[in-house]
Amino acid sequence: MAHQAAPGAGTRLFHPGFEGHSQISARTLGFWLYMLSDALLFTALFAAYAVLDTPMNAAGGPIASQIVNPIEGFWQTIAILASVTCYSLATVAMKNGNRAGTALGIIAAMVLAVVFLAFGFNDLATLTAHGNGLGRSGYLSAYFVLILTHAVHMLIGILWMLVMLVQIPRYGFNEMVVARMLNLRMFWQFQATVWVCVYIYVYMIGA
Amino acid sequence: MAGSHSDPLAHPEVRQGGALRYIAGFISTVALMGAAMVVTLRHDLAYSSFVELVGGLAFLALLSQAVLYYGLDISRSQIWKSVSLILTVPLFIITVGLTVWMFQSLDQRTMLMPTTLQQPTLLQ
Amino acid sequence: MQVEVPGPWSPLLGRLTLDAIPYTNPILQGTFAGAALAGLIVIGCVLYFKKVGYLWREWLTSVDHKKIGVMYIIVGLVMLFRGFADGLMIRTQQVIANGPNAPGVLGAQHGFLPPFHFDQVYSAHGTIMILFAATPILTGFQNIVVPLQIGARDMAFPYMNALSLWLTTAAAALVMISLFVGDFSAAGWVGLIPLTELPFSPSTGVDYWMWAIQISSVGTTLNAINMIVTIVEMRAPGMTWFRMPVFSWTTLSTNIIGLTAFPVLGVALALLGADRYLGTHFFTAGYGGNLMLYTNLFWIWGHPEVYFLILPTFGILSEVIPTFSEKPLFGYVTMVAATFAIAGISWVVWLHHFFTMGSGPDINGFFSVATMLVGIPTGVKLFNWMFTLYRARITYSVAMLWAMFGLFLLLAGGLTGMMLALPAVNYTVHDSVFVIAHFHCMVLLVVASAFAGVTYWFPKLFGFKLNEGWGKAFFWTFSIATIIVFAAMFALGFQGETRRLDWTFNTAWKPMLMVEEIGMILYVVSLACFAIMLVVSIRNRAKNRVGADPWGTSRTLEWLTPSPVPFYNFAVTPQVNTRDELSWRRKHGLESAKPAGFEAIHMPSNTGMPVIIGALAGIWGFAMIWRIWWLAGISLLGIVVCVIIRSFNKNEGYHLQPQEIEAMEKNLATGAIVAEQPVRTHLHHVEAH
Repeated sequence: MAHQAAPGAGTRLFHPGFEGHSQISARTLGFWLYMLSDALLFTALFAAYAVLDTPMNAAGGPIASQIVNPIEGFWQTIAILASVTCYSLATVAMKNGNRAGTALGIIAAMVLAVVFLAFGFNDLATLTAHGNGLGRSGYLSAYFVLILTHAVHMLIGILWMLVMLVQIPRYGFNEMVVARMLNLRMFWQFQATVWVCVYIYVYMIGA
Repeated sequence: MAGSHSDPLAHPEVRQGGALRYIAGFISTVALMGAAMVVTLRHDLAYSSFVELVGGLAFLALLSQAVLYYGLDISRSQIWKSVSLILTVPLFIITVGLTVWMFQSLDQRTMLMPTTLQQPTLLQ
Repeated sequence: MQVEVPGPWSPLLGRLTLDAIPYTNPILQGTFAGAALAGLIVIGCVLYFKKVGYLWREWLTSVDHKKIGVMYIIVGLVMLFRGFADGLMIRTQQVIANGPNAPGVLGAQHGFLPPFHFDQVYSAHGTIMILFAATPILTGFQNIVVPLQIGARDMAFPYMNALSLWLTTAAAALVMISLFVGDFSAAGWVGLIPLTELPFSPSTGVDYWMWAIQISSVGTTLNAINMIVTIVEMRAPGMTWFRMPVFSWTTLSTNIIGLTAFPVLGVALALLGADRYLGTHFFTAGYGGNLMLYTNLFWIWGHPEVYFLILPTFGILSEVIPTFSEKPLFGYVTMVAATFAIAGISWVVWLHHFFTMGSGPDINGFFSVATMLVGIPTGVKLFNWMFTLYRARITYSVAMLWAMFGLFLLLAGGLTGMMLALPAVNYTVHDSVFVIAHFHCMVLLVVASAFAGVTYWFPKLFGFKLNEGWGKAFFWTFSIATIIVFAAMFALGFQGETRRLDWTFNTAWKPMLMVEEIGMILYVVSLACFAIMLVVSIRNRAKNRVGADPWGTSRTLEWLTPSPVPFYNFAVTPQVNTRDELSWRRKHGLESAKPAGFEAIHMPSNTGMPVIIGALAGIWGFAMIWRIWWLAGISLLGIVVCVIIRSFNKNEGYHLQPQEIEAMEKNLATGAIVAEQPVRTHLHHVEAH
């Protein structure tokens, strides 16, 4: 049983002027929790990929080693990591109140992200043109959907960056804009994390 | 719903960003991924040791991302993120791990598998 | 890239044609007439009492956690009624269609439901009860109670809270629309594979099921984030972790489950959707699909989901039982530990839903042991409640009766669950009604504690108690009906009746089926008692007004506020000194202490954006179901645009002035949940400098 002290002279029953929680902390924690759920989403996709990554599920079509190119994947890895680094540097500019620097970092991140996606979509388009699209076999379905889900996340991130490019000149670095920039940083870094897992599991182990 | 009305840029999560940290993160992750690629292309390891090595490199890359990119530590502003991540990591392992274990057995017992295998995969 | 859909497809209306409306089906004709009548009565009343503006301003656009919680519970109760109707149809069909000479009416060979329609009825019953009745009701309770229990003014993200509500409502609306436009899934609430694939379920039924669940899952995930951040960040000063009430602890653990498990359901259904819409081969019976993968992914979510339902239930029991025993909860720390042990173990047991899929003894054994381990923390909880009741001064109020019945159901359901955890037993009773009886004990425990919660917290929100006499009548009819129906069902399970039978071919089952039907009639009587209880209580509300602590023996912080609780919750943030703060204050004569003065409170403004996004989500779901691509594109674009517009929102709420607060504390009716608030000036943040 909890020991309950009797009320004394210093006992307070109310706390007027209580500051409450920080909005930015609440928003970043909330966004982090969302990202954990997103991580579980990718985990489920990886589990599906692991199950479908057998010759049986290739249904006569190509298997992993026949379609993954580790070297090209490496260029993509550099592109996405560079994009994440540029965006992170943009938040360092934000720390210093430098609006132009922040915008520059964001634009660089966007360009590199488009490069990454171009590589990726080109890959998928080539496969599809050769008749090995996502409807060819269970294995290819898993491969395509894993890559495409990551790509969709990146497109959303790019759209978000565009919105930030509008909001920074308009509102400056107020509480909401800062919270969004921090959340976008986590989101963007998360895309790189997922890509590392994809690169290792699909490109390395697949090869 | 009270919020602190101090300067948003003074918030610890803004202040913790640092150019050196991010560039270090970039270099370390690229280096680890490059090492993994080299190991993969050389094709001269047994399959299980290959998986272990590449998995280890991946783990190090993810760790460097956690510390250098996300900036996770046990400071007041980051502690809940660190705690929630550490509590969720077992779920990643359980979901994929138990699924793979289960399907190894299921495939053997319920599926007709082709007798020739071009290459081993995680399920064999 | 679009799959060849069986049936017609036009660019303007997708697969939607006039044939989709089943106007020749007599059962649906009756349903439509009833629904239309109910709808007209509700709309008529709103128009007659000129409450359209009030509804929009005070309820639909509200971001107040209490109003959102009430709306969640209303949605849940409406869907509970629909789910009950489905259940009644299942039972009645099975008792009529018994034996080779059973009569058939309305186009059915036996009974009154043809097989395909019957399949939709039980699929809808399961889907609705779990995802659209129990989940919203429990979410509603968490929304209402947790901020009050931890001494906060609202949730961490009031706007997102409203958004979650309207997404869930949109999904529930889709399920209701499936009654009258098209059909519903006939593949079980689980979505039995490969039956759910396009060649075997060519109609839009499975699509309704799929998109409704997907949309509501987004709402649930957002709500989970909201609840976790609220509990982590917004506890009142002095409320350390181990002073927090158990209901808030169970809310935290349940939402951790919700946050982590629902994405896997999203993936399972999305991959099925990819098969149905994009022609992929994840789960097809050919081209390298793996049927077992769906079952695996679904149940990775499916098992944590049932703990998502039961943990808030346990939380409600942990609030009601100590209050009406006039004792603190026995074993607080072990209760919290057991809650998290259950949440953790719930993640490694999912294979027990498909022992018979053929994984072999090693794997079956692992999951069997893990499943049985869950019994230990559950037992700890049960013993803690028993020890709370031991030598207590028990008041047999309606809420306490529901709680005690819940304990009884936990015993029956838990023990039969332990039986099912053994693969040897499981192989014998898998897919029999024994399993159905087991899990109905558990979900009826959820319902029992929901009604305990309704009775318990109703006075806090609305300022008057529910009628005790009719409450007891409702309880007794409901609980006896439950025992009758499910004891008979356990017996039928042992007699070999399997699940999902539209024609119960074995005449030996007839006696028990008739017993079950008697139970169902008693359920209908209990429903009438519930309705009468509501009417009588509302009619007598002036006579039954209550103060801050209606039960006299409540223990936790939410009972410190006046009844009905004003929309800002606490006039001054309370300082928490101990666990069970109110009972401590009462013991030292401090429960009526009032703050010395008031300060301005910053409140968020109402907004119609969640309603708009919810409506667009509903339209998008409908468009995806019927493959009306232009509409799907526009509504999705609309959602994105709304989200972006909302991010440019400059409205920073308003300040509630001290004089207003003082006036509302004196005249509680002006701050109550049903009161209409005056227009207040909103703060706008300044543009860039």
